[in-house]
Amino acid sequence: MNMTEPMVLALTALVDEPRHGYGIVQEVDRLSEGRVQLKIGTLYGVLDRLSGAGLVALDREEAQQGRLRRYYRLTDEGARALQEEAARMAATAATATARLRTRTAGGAA
Amino acid sequence: MNHHEGMGLLERRYRAILRLLPASYRAEREEEMVAAFMEMSGEVPDEVNPRPRWGEIASVLALSTRVRLGGAGATPGQVARGEAVRLVALLGMGTLAAFATAGLIRVAGYGAELSVAGAPESAERLSFIGDLAASVLSILAFVTIMRGHVRAAKAAALLGLVPTLGYAVLPLVLDGTDRFAPLQDVANLAFVLLPPLALLIGFHGGVAPRRRPWALALAPVAAGAALTGVTMLLIAADATEPLWYFLWLDHGAAVPVWAAASVVVLARRRSPSWALALSATGLVLLATRLPLLDTLPDALWPTVAVQCALLGTLAVATGGAGVRAISQGPTPAPVRP
Repeated sequence: MNMTEPMVLALTALVDEPRHGYGIVQEVDRLSEGRVQLKIGTLYGVLDRLSGAGLVALDREEAQQGRLRRYYRLTDEGARALQEEAARMAATAATATARLRTRTAGGAA
Repeated sequence: MNHHEGMGLLERRYRAILRLLPASYRAEREEEMVAAFMEMSGEVPDEVNPRPRWGEIASVLALSTRVRLGGAGATPGQVARGEAVRLVALLGMGTLAAFATAGLIRVAGYGAELSVAGAPESAERLSFIGDLAASVLSILAFVTIMRGHVRAAKAAALLGLVPTLGYAVLPLVLDGTDRFAPLQDVANLAFVLLPPLALLIGFHGGVAPRRRPWALALAPVAAGAALTGVTMLLIAADATEPLWYFLWLDHGAAVPVWAAASVVVLARRRSPSWALALSATGLVLLATRLPLLDTLPDALWPTVAVQCALLGTLAVATGGAGVRAISQGPTPAPVRP
């Protein structure tokens, strides 16, 4: 599965606790320091894809002031997928950092 | 009791926007999505005439397109329709790529001697170059989508639309509608516009790209080259009679290939997506052939009539088969176009 940034951030938002739709939007906003502000249509597209792949699952439903809140949780498969994606991103970042260091050292020489 | 009683203006407007989504999806998600919208907006009094933000409307529209075309959360019927749209893109772009190759080989053979190339720095020369660019881009779009490079394919298809639209729309703007032949012009426009548009909307983010073998990716290029080869051989052998030969060597060359594929799909009764895609592409082909019945000499009329009868009959049969298969419930194992 091709993991986009909103998907990675939505999975990350569910690592510590189950969250409902707008809760995920707020947490993604915090995690990305305001850089990624999920639209509601985008959020549900992301949740559909993550649920379809078994990476998130419905945790519970609650009614808050007469409105429906569905909470989603990260599944074990979702945690594994996020871990793999994080390792891949970390490896890419490490390679980029190493090459930039070499470039800086070469420029200084 | 009125369902909307007690709802604020903003909530009613959000619910109206959510009607863009398929009913089956709305039944599952509407309340949850409205709750998210309202939590995001906070309580806003009707007096300030609150409206949903354009970005939110666009995101719902994009979600609706994805679900309707077989993305996550779609019903089996929507999945089949989405596959049909992607097949229209592949079949149509493949056809365009084959004719583009034939055209490029002809240009390479005749070079600037072609009268259609126009004088240097003239509008005709610009249009000629635009046409060449559109040809190259349509081949590129087909090869890249077949190799699973969705973004590159979309970029090539989108760029290819620019000269195509210029070519089709500019004369109408410059000359007015006097020269506008409704069926012929609309059919030709559909022939070149429908495949790239199907590519742009059909291969959305919810579809995993699939890498097909090079042999399939390059098949239209080989077909286009073979078509030009046969045409040039006939011309070189001075075998220009009977003229009806040539009605099977222009866009008519697609008719027997399309008809054979339709017969196979009808006989196997396996995939509603293939049936729907062949029906749609057949109707577009039919629309490009029908006007010829009016304009061609009597000697060529029977050939075009045969082509139209073939296209019409099989397009209706495949369309009927596709619609029946979808309405009869669970679809067979999806083909991955």
